[in-house]
Amino acid sequence: MSSEPPRRRPPAGLLLGLIGIVATCWLAATGQLGLYIHPRYFVFTTVAVVLALVATVVAFALLPGDAGDDHDDHDHAPQGRTRRRLRGAGTVLAGLALVVGLLVIPPATLSTATLEQRDLNSSLDTDAVTLVGADPAGFALRDWAALVANPSTALGYAGQQATLSGFVTPSPDGNPDVLYLARFVVTCCTVDAQPVGVPVAVPGWADTYPVDGWLEVTGTFVATSDGSSTVIVLKPSTLESIEIPAQPYDF
Amino acid sequence: MQSTRREPTATRPAPRPAPDRRAIGLRVLAVLGVAAALLGLRLVADPAWTSWLPAAGRDFVTLSVSVFVESLPFVFLGIAISILVQVWVPDRIWQRYLPRNPFLRRMVLSVLGILFPVCECGNVPLARGLMMRGLGVGDALTFLLAAPILNPVTIITTYQAFGWEDGILVARIAGAFVIANLLGWLFSRHPDPESLLTASFEARCHATPPAAQGRGVRSARLFAEETATMLPALVAGSVIAGAIQVGVPRALLVELGSNPVVSVLVLMALAFVVSVCSNVDAFFIMSFSATFAPGAIVAFLVFGAMIDIKMLALLRTTFTTRALALIATLVALCTLVLGLGMNLVV
Repeated sequence: MSSEPPRRRPPAGLLLGLIGIVATCWLAATGQLGLYIHPRYFVFTTVAVVLALVATVVAFALLPGDAGDDHDDHDHAPQGRTRRRLRGAGTVLAGLALVVGLLVIPPATLSTATLEQRDLNSSLDTDAVTLVGADPAGFALRDWAALVANPSTALGYAGQQATLSGFVTPSPDGNPDVLYLARFVVTCCTVDAQPVGVPVAVPGWADTYPVDGWLEVTGTFVATSDGSSTVIVLKPSTLESIEIPAQPYDF
Repeated sequence: MQSTRREPTATRPAPRPAPDRRAIGLRVLAVLGVAAALLGLRLVADPAWTSWLPAAGRDFVTLSVSVFVESLPFVFLGIAISILVQVWVPDRIWQRYLPRNPFLRRMVLSVLGILFPVCECGNVPLARGLMMRGLGVGDALTFLLAAPILNPVTIITTYQAFGWEDGILVARIAGAFVIANLLGWLFSRHPDPESLLTASFEARCHATPPAAQGRGVRSARLFAEETATMLPALVAGSVIAGAIQVGVPRALLVELGSNPVVSVLVLMALAFVVSVCSNVDAFFIMSFSATFAPGAIVAFLVFGAMIDIKMLALLRTTFTTRALALIATLVALCTLVLGLGMNLVV
């Protein structure tokens, strides 16, 4: 790069930006932004990247092609040249990372690998009690997870029917006859995702249902004993493997 | 701005003649062609190519992409405001409205975030723009540290999450204001503030744009330069944040949280690691509020908004590693005092 005359240098920043813009536009157009960020940012993100696309096209059209690299051109000391080469290598690496991460690897949800790092149900709504009395038909998986985990509310929901979808993850206590139907709760982007889950009684589930596979379960909550205390689990009447939903996280 | 008004020491090559219409048309076609090629790659990319990735590797990619996609529009917004400040707002506005008294000036700068409610990643290009306009390093630091917290979006979300409970909101706002002004003052006392800046950024500050170029071309040039600087840094920050998420069991951190002294340190470490944007971090930490003392929560909310992995990567475009280590250490110490103090009082 440095051997070429400065006028011909490609505007690296515009190209990097373009990779991000194209990938984000594609995610937005195909309804997959929800895999990465909270819905409250959909509009802002989409508008911002479309404007950035316009800005990139305009900047590219107006510039003679030498901008974009850092302007220590007047610094021709060997030290400066090494630094510039390093920065050039960094830019190429960043470009490769963006192409592979955004354009080659298919979009995906978080899996059990991350769930295990973050402790299932460690950050449930502590106010499960405020849900009591509300219509259970409107409960999301996170609401059920909070109600079921809280001993003061759980038993009140024995006998209640529910239809829930989530991915399969093993029971934290290793019980082979209980799987957890889990989802991540996202407040901003998936970095802050917190896993929540509801226990589902499926004896020997591991033989039939792969971990991280998505299921829709319809069933009834029943009281059962886990050895020391009474808890409730979802006893399924139907269990169906489903595609990953467009909105795989709870918000 | 008055303190370190920089004189141009280098000049750029003479302006070239404006490109003709045909050349512009060709360039537009070229950039659209590149965009189409990138989109084409996305459309033909076969999931089978990367199906060998283990689940943890896949999650690492998902997490890194998530940080990147979340921050990208904010970085563009920050660059846009930075261009506005550098090219379109006349110099004399700053001269007129920024007080000459350095203490007052930094106080004004620390509430500038109310006008520019971008979160921390957008503030870096904006602060760079302010410094290129001649703002001193200490003054810019005050803005960088205060703006992520002293802005309407952050204040509203913190209020929504905590209300007036335990003085968390007040401590966050007041703490950020004091820490930002304290550090700005300390760094303004630095005998050679320019030694805190990276060589390439300093060179950029000294370069003067050719006067003959119109505002449009100058804006385009700044856009290209700032994306070239910020985007590699954002990629690095996203990748590191993603890798640490996969590598560090969060449960371990949380279990350490019951001790009133250790909990402050733990939540500061958590804030550093998760790199959640300051506009929403209150919602994130709210889910931990049952486990942790209010002082620890405030430490999370103050430290995380000022310093985290992604932010350090972005700041490295502008400050030397030594300067960043010093800034991070000082902010951490101040936050620690704030958090422990609150745990004593509340």
